[in-house]
Amino acid sequence: MIVVGVIITLIFAFLWARDVMSPRRKRAAEPEPEPGHPAVAEAEPERYDRNAFLELTTLGLGGVITAVVALPVIGFAVLPAFTRQEYEGVDLGPLDNFPENEWREATFLLEPSAGEVSRRTVFVRSNGDVDGVPNMTIISNRCVHLGCPVQAGGPREDQDAETFQAGDAEVRLTPVQPANFSCPCHGGAYDTEGNRIAGPPVRALDRWTFAIEGGNLTLVAPYSVGEVEGEGANAQIEAYQLQGPGEHVDGLSAFLYPIQAQDFE
Amino acid sequence: MASRYITESREQHKRYKEDVEREGKAFHPYAMFHDTVMSLVVVCVIVGLACVWFFTADEASEPDGASTSGTLGVLYEEKADPGTTSFIPRPDWYFYFLFYLLRIFKWPDSVVLGTVGLPTIALVLLLALPFIDRRRERRLSRRPVALIAAALTVVTMGVLTYKGATAEEGTGATGDVARWIEENNIPEGDAQEGAQLFAESGCTNCHTYLGSGVANLGAPDLSGIGNEMDADQLQAYVANPRQFGNQVMPVYGDTLSEEQLAQIAAFLEASKGGG
Amino acid sequence: MAVAPPPTRRRKRRMDKVVEVVNIPLNWLEERSGIVGGVKYFLFRRVPRDTNWFHTLGSATLTAFLVQAGTGVILAFYYQPTPDEAYESIRHITHDVTLGWLVRGMHRWGASVFIILLFLHMGRVFLFGAYKYPRELNWIVGVLILPLALLMGFTGYLLPWDQTAYWATVVGINLNGTGPLVGPLLAQFLRGGDEIGAETLTRFYALHMLLLPGALFALIGLHLYLVVRLGVSSPPWSDEAAGRERPEPEPSGDGGLVRPRARVPGRPRGE
Repeated sequence: MIVVGVIITLIFAFLWARDVMSPRRKRAAEPEPEPGHPAVAEAEPERYDRNAFLELTTLGLGGVITAVVALPVIGFAVLPAFTRQEYEGVDLGPLDNFPENEWREATFLLEPSAGEVSRRTVFVRSNGDVDGVPNMTIISNRCVHLGCPVQAGGPREDQDAETFQAGDAEVRLTPVQPANFSCPCHGGAYDTEGNRIAGPPVRALDRWTFAIEGGNLTLVAPYSVGEVEGEGANAQIEAYQLQGPGEHVDGLSAFLYPIQAQDFE
Repeated sequence: MASRYITESREQHKRYKEDVEREGKAFHPYAMFHDTVMSLVVVCVIVGLACVWFFTADEASEPDGASTSGTLGVLYEEKADPGTTSFIPRPDWYFYFLFYLLRIFKWPDSVVLGTVGLPTIALVLLLALPFIDRRRERRLSRRPVALIAAALTVVTMGVLTYKGATAEEGTGATGDVARWIEENNIPEGDAQEGAQLFAESGCTNCHTYLGSGVANLGAPDLSGIGNEMDADQLQAYVANPRQFGNQVMPVYGDTLSEEQLAQIAAFLEASKGGG
Repeated sequence: MAVAPPPTRRRKRRMDKVVEVVNIPLNWLEERSGIVGGVKYFLFRRVPRDTNWFHTLGSATLTAFLVQAGTGVILAFYYQPTPDEAYESIRHITHDVTLGWLVRGMHRWGASVFIILLFLHMGRVFLFGAYKYPRELNWIVGVLILPLALLMGFTGYLLPWDQTAYWATVVGINLNGTGPLVGPLLAQFLRGGDEIGAETLTRFYALHMLLLPGALFALIGLHLYLVVRLGVSSPPWSDEAAGRERPEPEPSGDGGLVRPRARVPGRPRGE
């Protein structure tokens, strides 16, 4: 593509340069005949200004060549980042691994084919059954200020960690007793429902929707949360489309972020 | 019509060219010599730093060779783990001033100011400088605004960088437990267990203790809290701060067992403020 | 006393012969390209007499940049820009490759030295007032170089793919994401997707190796061209600053005092 473009450019550049040097151009630059001679003007052979035509065509074709080369290249660089990513469900193991009212810190591979780089962590608490349906609180550990890894404010029992093999991805469950969650970067702090209690985070921690498949807890997709009222199974969650850290979901400042990458197909 | 500033500047530049032609010295070898010496110093400093860095980083027992300490820092940390919950992120040192700026802008609505607002304003001011300063005067003694602005900028960036470098972390306090035990003479048994729990439970996110932690939301320093409250009072407080009028502190009684609460209380009672 | 010509004249004739021989290829090159003349112009151009050590900060910054470029290219021979192999290739460079630790160390500390010298140079130019006419464009070019250099530091920081690299980049990209309106799109572009992964590393590598250095070389080239064309400014406190105001000429009633011309290095006496 580029080679063709370069060749076309060179050909037309050569033609244009040759034309600039030719004597015809000098004649066309001479002063026009007086306006008081309409007959002469009509019979004038240079009314169709070849000079201007050639210049315009050169620029126009140059523009076309640039566009033909640049647009696919820029599209290649920019657009793939905006293709929708479909989340495949993440299997976190049997529901029995999550005793009621106990927190587990679960690390898993979001995309097993991508390898360790897709490892993520969530804090999971089972809230028991509501109307016969298991209710879970699943909170992401990425701080919603600038994405630092949020830590559980409470003792961790690493020695009691369990692992579960989901295909070739290992899921590790560690018991924790958080009284709150805190971020080591800029002093953000959240309560056990993920609401912000201190620091610069702009909303509550993101959560995950889940499903129970064959007795196993499966993570479906993440979403952003404005605020959570109530606790555990009675929590009223203001859910929003997933947004990046630092982006307000409600209030005046939400107007700063009207376009999300997920809005593109 | 050129302004007076431009007209006089053009005359001055013309004089400048004449002066340089007449009185100036050849770049080579006079000024070039200075440049070469300085460049040699720069290269030697870079090589020197690289050598000190490599030879003082101790080869630790990590299986992949990641060292754990060194005069100029480690050779590399552990491999990236996107699922970690114990790592404390930090940028490279020349971004510390921006990093600390983010800690200053704590209110959620002001976050944008700290992340993009202030740096953008600073850059725009820098770019527009030649158009803001329309005086020909170059002597510092006659440019008070410039001098003060430069001094303020240097001091501000220096302070922000220093504070960014020494910024304390509320998390990661588990490494300090041994030091606390020694400095405050914490007795063995429940009290020392309590010290470990205290470090793990995120208390240092709001409280300071013997130099660890951050003072957040008005929480007091607890190094000598044992002088003011006894174990029972402390256990009741930690279990339910609400009944003491504290609306901010998490209710640890919901998540910690009686035994754990008692251990924390024992530790705090033994904290009589610096050995 | 007719003896052999004095030694200095013999040495001088030998020197002349050497110069003649050296000039043959140089003249060949000069006639066909004009390069030699350009280099000579650059080397032997006049700078103000009172140019001092403060003026070396600019070329020191350039040296640091060239060290970075050189060591960076060598490191690129051994570095692998994929998440699975990047860390191991860094370990390999540091411990196994001959003098790999030195090249890597120079590159890492050269970055800090480069940034420090950049700020010092900027401060020097500001305090000397050397951003005023006719050097405004040069100042603007320099201010454009500053964020590019910081971006080089930011993109390079990710490449070792250790914990500090990964998380500092997470924060940095999200910082960009907080910008109004286009922030989230910019963050998406930098990340190469919804999540930081292999695309991010490759992207940062391309930025760090190709796009940013290209822009830097172009801007630094322009910066140097402007310095040579516009000249170096004298320190503002100097009594013999080039371009200084001249005192009004005295009315010729007092006998016409003439200032003696000072001896100037690099110029033959009597000019």
